[in-house]
Amino acid sequence: MLTKIADQRDIDFVLYEQLGIESLLTSKKYQDFNKKMFDMVLKEAKNISVKEFLPACAECDKVGVTFKDNMVTVPDCLRKPHHLLFKGEWGALTEDPEYGGQGLPFTIAQAAMEYITAANQILVSYIWLGHGAGKMIELSGTQKQKDLFVEKLYTGEWGGSMLLTEPEAGSDVGALTTSAKKMDDGTYELTGNKIFITNGEQNLTDNIIHPVLARIEGAPQGTKGISLFIVPKIWVNDDGSLGEHNDVLCTGVEEKMGLHGSPTCSLSLGSRGKCRGLLLGEANKGMEIMFHMMNEVRLEVGTQGFTSGSLAYLCALDHAKQRRQGRSIEKVGDEEAAQVPIIQHPDVRRMLLRMKSYVEGMRSLIYYTAFCMDKKELADNDEERDRQSKLVEILTPVVKAYSTEKGFDVCVEAMQVLGGYGYTREYPVEQILRDCKIASIYEGSNGIQAMDFLGRKLFGNKGKALDCLVKEMKECVAVAKEHKAIKDLATDVEKAVDKLEEICRNTMGVIMSRQMPSAFASAHPLLDVTGDVIVAWMHLWRATLAQTRLDSKDRIFYQGKITTAQFFIKTILPVAMGKLDAVTYEENPAVIMEEGAF
Amino acid sequence: MNIVVLMKQVPDTEAPVEIAESNVAIDTEDTKWAINPYDEFSLEEALLIKEAKGDSKVTLVTVGPDHVAEAIRVAYAMGVDEAIHINDEIDDEVYGAVDPHTTAAIIAAALKDVPFDLIIAGQRAVDDDSYLVPALVANKLNLPIISLVTKQETTDTEINCVQSIDGGTAVVKAALPALITTQKGINEPRYPNFRAIMKAKKKKVDERELEDIGLDPENFGINGAKVKIRSMEFPPERGQGKIIEGSSPAEKAKILVNLLKEEASVI
Repeated sequence: MLTKIADQRDIDFVLYEQLGIESLLTSKKYQDFNKKMFDMVLKEAKNISVKEFLPACAECDKVGVTFKDNMVTVPDCLRKPHHLLFKGEWGALTEDPEYGGQGLPFTIAQAAMEYITAANQILVSYIWLGHGAGKMIELSGTQKQKDLFVEKLYTGEWGGSMLLTEPEAGSDVGALTTSAKKMDDGTYELTGNKIFITNGEQNLTDNIIHPVLARIEGAPQGTKGISLFIVPKIWVNDDGSLGEHNDVLCTGVEEKMGLHGSPTCSLSLGSRGKCRGLLLGEANKGMEIMFHMMNEVRLEVGTQGFTSGSLAYLCALDHAKQRRQGRSIEKVGDEEAAQVPIIQHPDVRRMLLRMKSYVEGMRSLIYYTAFCMDKKELADNDEERDRQSKLVEILTPVVKAYSTEKGFDVCVEAMQVLGGYGYTREYPVEQILRDCKIASIYEGSNGIQAMDFLGRKLFGNKGKALDCLVKEMKECVAVAKEHKAIKDLATDVEKAVDKLEEICRNTMGVIMSRQMPSAFASAHPLLDVTGDVIVAWMHLWRATLAQTRLDSKDRIFYQGKITTAQFFIKTILPVAMGKLDAVTYEENPAVIMEEGAF
Repeated sequence: MNIVVLMKQVPDTEAPVEIAESNVAIDTEDTKWAINPYDEFSLEEALLIKEAKGDSKVTLVTVGPDHVAEAIRVAYAMGVDEAIHINDEIDDEVYGAVDPHTTAAIIAAALKDVPFDLIIAGQRAVDDDSYLVPALVANKLNLPIISLVTKQETTDTEINCVQSIDGGTAVVKAALPALITTQKGINEPRYPNFRAIMKAKKKKVDERELEDIGLDPENFGINGAKVKIRSMEFPPERGQGKIIEGSSPAEKAKILVNLLKEEASVI
């Protein structure tokens, strides 16, 4: 049975050695915390995750949701974990305690969520959506709206959703047709149909708060005319009590590849009666409000992809240590030689180290991004705040797209290590793989992330976010070069950073030319290779620290960091250098090929 | 009602342990620690009694070195009111409580000034599995003891328990004050909620040394131990499995029976 759901030693390494998060404790905001408390939070997060959340995960997958008479029933096994999560107050770790949050730094919350997400992604989906809805209301709602909804959403007592997609408006949100009409009492009456709504209907919580994107009658077409509404499943009276059922009708749930315990719903608004909503924020500003939430959700979905990979790697590692098959390659032909655990076979070792290098690199990338969010909040001057903000901006699409793709790749490789067993339902890898795939698709597909990266984060920013990122990477390279043993690795990373910077700037230039479509056809490869170079930087950073700790009792652990860095920088980064060459190919054949020739 | 819970911090059962160079103890340098799982049942039962009765107090008593503080914080986060930590470190890595007798003597001495109606302890600690400390404490304090309790009902003057016995259960009662040990199944220990974790760091631990409870360190540790560990070793690694070949299940069964008789000598 799977019991190790995350690499605690590596988490500690990233938190306390690589990032040195104890520096946050000197701030006024976190003066009431100390390292022991952080450790206790993580220990309890791990404890409850392993004992309560993990056991329900496979059952959730097996039972799935059922849809009958416009109602969705979630697997029973989800009830206790959800109750414990709510009672334990694990719902909104970084939010304001006034609204039911815990006021933790993003970085520590990230580590706690790694355990919880690894144990049960389905459970986490309920929490994340409630948190996302609550966050939008906290940031843009009236005081009354905040009082009525935020705490119940943050704590997980009520569920949340995000009603964005329509049959003809997916990635093109501006095409949506759901309409809203203002009523005399100031509320709005909504009409329309939404699809692909995660947890849009469920019987796990007493109420569901749907943030809904809709166009007020007479508003401009496109994204500039979209407003955001709070639409409760059950109307919430002014005193907080529950009123009558709102006309939000679930018309079906999707049959999916994974995440079977989380319903993906089609919802009809106002088809049988009145669907009432409250305007959130200003009219026609719905997209702005939603984007704030989307950025946080994209980091969460990146975490989902990463933890899938991390968990799959741990399964593969455990299997490779236990499973005896074949003789040592040095004893080929010796029939008397004993069978060895497959971790001793070079090709299995290659797969394991490849997985480990991606997983640890992604962990550092995601935790670093969370750390930038903390530093942004704590910055005591505009310049530092702006710098950290730019780092978060440019890293967000990388975290989302790179972690969800590489996380999935790691799942595929883990299945390979398990061989035929990995393909069966008896072992957890096939579920992890199925559950993971959606992460590269939802919350802004990775193609959208690539356009965001190139269009907004590089070009829209006039390269300033790139400047901040490159500066960080070069500072690390300079420190690493002082260590003779890893100078070679530092030089390789330096070359990659220089080349990445050059290609990013060239591609930004192409956007202004008639080759612009080619630039966007290369946006995803560019985002992918940016992820490779960032992960190489993270490994160099890790190896630099490890280099100074080789005399400690933990020598094998630290030597492992250096060896992992060598593997990534010497066997994966060279491929990335080639991928960078490919991005420079200006006239992308994908763009110029005639449609009939596909 | 005053309830005392005896708690031991033990190596986390999920974390690997190494044998120290001395070969008579485990290497604790990188050990991850946790509350003894059976003591979690005791804590939970004490808190349930307190919640049911009201106007009650749960006091935790534990013996061990500095790092026991971590476990005390968890117990505070679960809801105990007070904690007494007998720090038994006599000298660098020399501890007062090295066998069940010395541990029980320390606990009994610590309880001299603590009012109690009921003491609850785990039926055993999962590290040394001696099963002895609660019984020895009861003996030293001249208390009735009911072990392996799976259910209890407490009045102000007596406790009625269902205890596990070989092949069944027995219903047993004792006058208070008494000591009971908890068995798996008695309850489901709670998880500390987040706010309680935050509050736990502000609670004070009553930390005492052996002299503070009237004990002479000279008589404890290795000098006071009645049982000495001579060596420790891991169980032998599980050998490679053997797949029995045969043309039918019946033939395979026949070969298996033969092997169990001839090779394994178990039947």
